[in-house]
Amino acid sequence: MKKLDISKLDVLAMMQFDACTRCGECTATCPTGGEAQDVELVTPRGKILKLRDFYRRQYGLRAKILGPKEIPEEELKELTSRAYECTICGQCRAVCPAHLDTIPMWENMREFLVANGLAPLPAHESIIKSVENYGNPWMQPRVQRSRWAKRLDKEVKIKDVLKESCEVLYFVGCTAAYDPNIRDMAINTAKVLAKAKVDFGTLGNEEACCGSTLLRTGLVEEARKTANKNIAMFEEAAPSLIVTSCAGCYKTLKQDYPKIGKVDARIAHITEYVLELIDSGRLKLDGRVDGRVTFHDPCHLGRHNKLYDQPRRILESIPGLELVEMERNREDARCCGAGGGVKTAFPDLAQKISSMRVEDAERTGAAILTTSCPFCYQSLKATIEAKGSKLRMMDIMELVAIAADAA
Amino acid sequence: MPEGRYLKDKAWLYFPFFAVVILVSAVILLLPYETVYVRERVYLEMFLVTVVVCVAVFFIGTLYNVLLWAHGKGLSGSPERRVLGWLGRCIRLVFSRRFAKLVVVFLRDAMYLSKLKDRSVTRWLMHLLILGGFAVMFVLDLVVTFSLDFLKYEPMISEDGWAKLWLRDFGFDLVGAMMLAGLLIAAVRRFIQRPKMVRTELPDAASILFLLAVVLGGFILEGMGIAGGIPDHGRNVEYSFLGYAFSLAMPASAGEWYDHAWLVHAIMSALLIAYIPFSKLFHMIATPIAIEVDRLMSKEVRTA
Repeated sequence: MKKLDISKLDVLAMMQFDACTRCGECTATCPTGGEAQDVELVTPRGKILKLRDFYRRQYGLRAKILGPKEIPEEELKELTSRAYECTICGQCRAVCPAHLDTIPMWENMREFLVANGLAPLPAHESIIKSVENYGNPWMQPRVQRSRWAKRLDKEVKIKDVLKESCEVLYFVGCTAAYDPNIRDMAINTAKVLAKAKVDFGTLGNEEACCGSTLLRTGLVEEARKTANKNIAMFEEAAPSLIVTSCAGCYKTLKQDYPKIGKVDARIAHITEYVLELIDSGRLKLDGRVDGRVTFHDPCHLGRHNKLYDQPRRILESIPGLELVEMERNREDARCCGAGGGVKTAFPDLAQKISSMRVEDAERTGAAILTTSCPFCYQSLKATIEAKGSKLRMMDIMELVAIAADAA
Repeated sequence: MPEGRYLKDKAWLYFPFFAVVILVSAVILLLPYETVYVRERVYLEMFLVTVVVCVAVFFIGTLYNVLLWAHGKGLSGSPERRVLGWLGRCIRLVFSRRFAKLVVVFLRDAMYLSKLKDRSVTRWLMHLLILGGFAVMFVLDLVVTFSLDFLKYEPMISEDGWAKLWLRDFGFDLVGAMMLAGLLIAAVRRFIQRPKMVRTELPDAASILFLLAVVLGGFILEGMGIAGGIPDHGRNVEYSFLGYAFSLAMPASAGEWYDHAWLVHAIMSALLIAYIPFSKLFHMIATPIAIEVDRLMSKEVRTA
């Protein structure tokens, strides 16, 4: 009989499984389990009760007295698949009356599934191989990583932090570096930093994937390897600040890296840093951008890191721009559907959730939908195009670059 | 891990644990219960035996659940050793500066249910009535038992004593009424309104019906006592306002069945205690612990 190895489950997660009151508060707002498809097993309550039932059947008091029970393979597979339908957006944490810290709980659940040989899903295996072989999840060669900067050669001097010392290290992230549709995010970020006369540089082609995709899919050991590569380079470059324009990289560097190694530099998301530059007068936003804009809170930035005000204050600083809020915003913001490996493994589900978010934005009457995460940007932009929506998708740094006359 | 060390860890945990269980059982069995007005002494003895067994089952079930948590990530050595470590840390925490902060977290998040209040006032009130009623009843029970059986506090014994009227009669009825109101809201919501978020399976239905039976049973029993005019239920009955209301619907002959009803109610209450670790009601214990552990790991309390 195959016995589940529960030694990979967090102690706090196990306490929280017992602390779940089964109230169902999480089921109504869960974007994947509740809103998009109404499947109980995808909801936080469904997953908690099922997993707890499984390990209690093998380790509970009854199992101790009468012997452990076999868990049918199909049930294990179903739980695994359903567990990966979660975007780990953290909406359940926001609403849980029992204060369950669900975000690490879902990541840990996946780690447990991987440890028991039930995961990763086949769809995620190519990402893992790509990160291992190419240092990015997009199967792109390492030498192409800094290609985005070529367009800036004449305008902006981007230092190689491993060769020249500089104050700020801009950690570009894989999506902005490789996706041709998102490269502008990196370009605009560099332009804005240059406009504010920030002494900055990047790791160039040496930058490795931050490991976010691996961590969110439960591949902790693989993530540790790639994180250690970056941490060693951070140590070598010794910047005082590391800035990321990707919300996923930001969460990983800020929350996960300190558990893996020592990072001396302060970690900031670009919205935090740009706001500091504006407040200190180093960056002046004089250019007008006329229009109505609505901001989508990326889960990794908002619910995971409580950065809600910074992007809004930046948008409010841009002359001519009117910020309107979606009905669900800040802690209650709906997920874009792309996170947690959902877009890779369940693209239709991701599209469905993304569609709901675009509709939220449309209802505000805004002309521009902006965000500060390449993953959200990618997902929402694709949906806007697929739906033929009149919304214009713009990255927040694009707006800042226009207003700073840096574009 | 060496077998000897493993056995030593077990001994360190289980000997004190069973000593506590035996101590609690001894206290339960040795109390005089002079003010328990059940005419058949054998009924009282049957209850006491049941309650001792049920309390032991409660402790064992709870310990087993905690030991299961101890199987989690980072275990080196036996789960028993880890639990011992936790107990040691708990004791140190009580004497640390962080304890006050943890008490605030407990009262705000685990008792007052601050987050639920923001989501829905009805659901918050329902939980608060049940949980608050349960918690206050537990404390009241300890206070009353201590003042009756240890202190022999006269105002708690005398039929006209202020403590008897306000704590034993009015106090218990008030917290019982709170629980009853909360449970009725929960029952209506779960069995009649059935909102989509509510999932009713056997453990959900059993918990709510079990609690309702015990609480409602308590008032029916009190009503029978008042209607039958049995000792301790003869004067100032209006202080037991809900029990009195129940008594109005009962004939005086109900008092004849009082002893049997008392035994049923008492045994059901004891069984409820034993049921907690094996039911969804265990969240009453696990939720505050999980909240406190989570906060201990967070900046809020770590830096206090």
